[in-house]
Amino acid sequence: MSEPRQELVLDRLIHEPGRLAILTVLSSVRDADFVFLQRATGLTKGNLSSHLTKLEDAGLVAIEKRFVLKKPNTNVTLTALGRKRIAKHWAQLERLRTLAQEP
Amino acid sequence: MRRENLETAAANYTYLRGLLCIPAGALFILAALGNWQVGPLQHAWMFVVLAAVILLASVPIYSHYNKHYGRLTPTTRQRTRGAIAMAIGLAVIVGGSMLLRSRAGWSLDLPVNATAVTFAMIMLITYAIGVGLKSHHVVIWGALLLAGALPVWTGADPSNIGLVMAGVAVMLSGIFDHRLFVRTFGSPASLELSERDVRA
Repeated sequence: MSEPRQELVLDRLIHEPGRLAILTVLSSVRDADFVFLQRATGLTKGNLSSHLTKLEDAGLVAIEKRFVLKKPNTNVTLTALGRKRIAKHWAQLERLRTLAQEP
Repeated sequence: MRRENLETAAANYTYLRGLLCIPAGALFILAALGNWQVGPLQHAWMFVVLAAVILLASVPIYSHYNKHYGRLTPTTRQRTRGAIAMAIGLAVIVGGSMLLRSRAGWSLDLPVNATAVTFAMIMLITYAIGVGLKSHHVVIWGALLLAGALPVWTGADPSNIGLVMAGVAVMLSGIFDHRLFVRTFGSPASLELSERDVRA
C-alpha cells in the first residue's frame, strides 16, 4: 500500500473537534483564560481541562496558573509550535476541500 | 462549530461587551450638561465627582464580564490597529467637526451637527473594521449620522446637543451589543447549568 499523500495526512492530535476549536480560538489572541475558552468553544470544564492537558503535553500550548485579584486564574497561550501546527492544519483542510471539489 | 465563529470569538468579546457603553454614554451626556452648567454642574468640582462616580460604575461591569466570560489579551497587531484607529478617530472627530462647522477660517460652516456626524461615522467605521456592522449598528449610528447631517442646525453651536445624542446612541448601541454578546457566548448562568447537565 503506497504512503498517503502529504496533503491528505491530518494531524490527529489537532483534528479532534474540541482541540481544533481551542487552538483556533487561541490563534486569534495573545492569550486567553480558561473561562473564555470554555465560552468560546462550548466545551464543559472537564472536557476543556482534558484537552488542554493533552495540548500542553504536546507543547502546543503553555498554561499558567496565576492569581488575578486574589482569585485563581488559568491562562493559556499558544506556543510557536502550536501556532505553526494549527496554521498548517487549516491549510491542509483547505487543500483537502479543494481536492474534493476537483472534477 | 464554524472556523469563522471561533476566529471571531475574540473580536466579538472585545467589541460587544456593551454594558461598558452605558457609563461611557453617560459621560458624554455629563459633558454636555457640564458645558451647559446645568444645576450643580456649574461647579467644576461637581463635574469631576460625577465623572468619577460614572467611571467607577464600569468596575463592577468589567468584573461581571471577567467573572462570567473570562479574559483575553489581544495580539500586539490587534492592539496596534486599535490604537491607530483611535488616533485616526480622534483626529477625524476634531478635524471633521472643525471642517464642517467652526469659527476657523477654513470651515465650511454648514448648518449640521458636526459632533453627531463625525462621531457616528467613526463608530460605523470602528464597528465595521472591528467586528462587522450588525443591523442595530446601522440603525442606531445611521440615525445619528442622518440626524446630524440634516441642514437644520442653524443658530447657536449645536455641539452639546450632539454630545447628548451621541451619549444616547452609545448607550443604546451598547445594550444591543450586550444582547448579541449574550446570544454569542451564553447567559452568565449557562456555564454552571451545562456543568450540572453533565453531572446529572
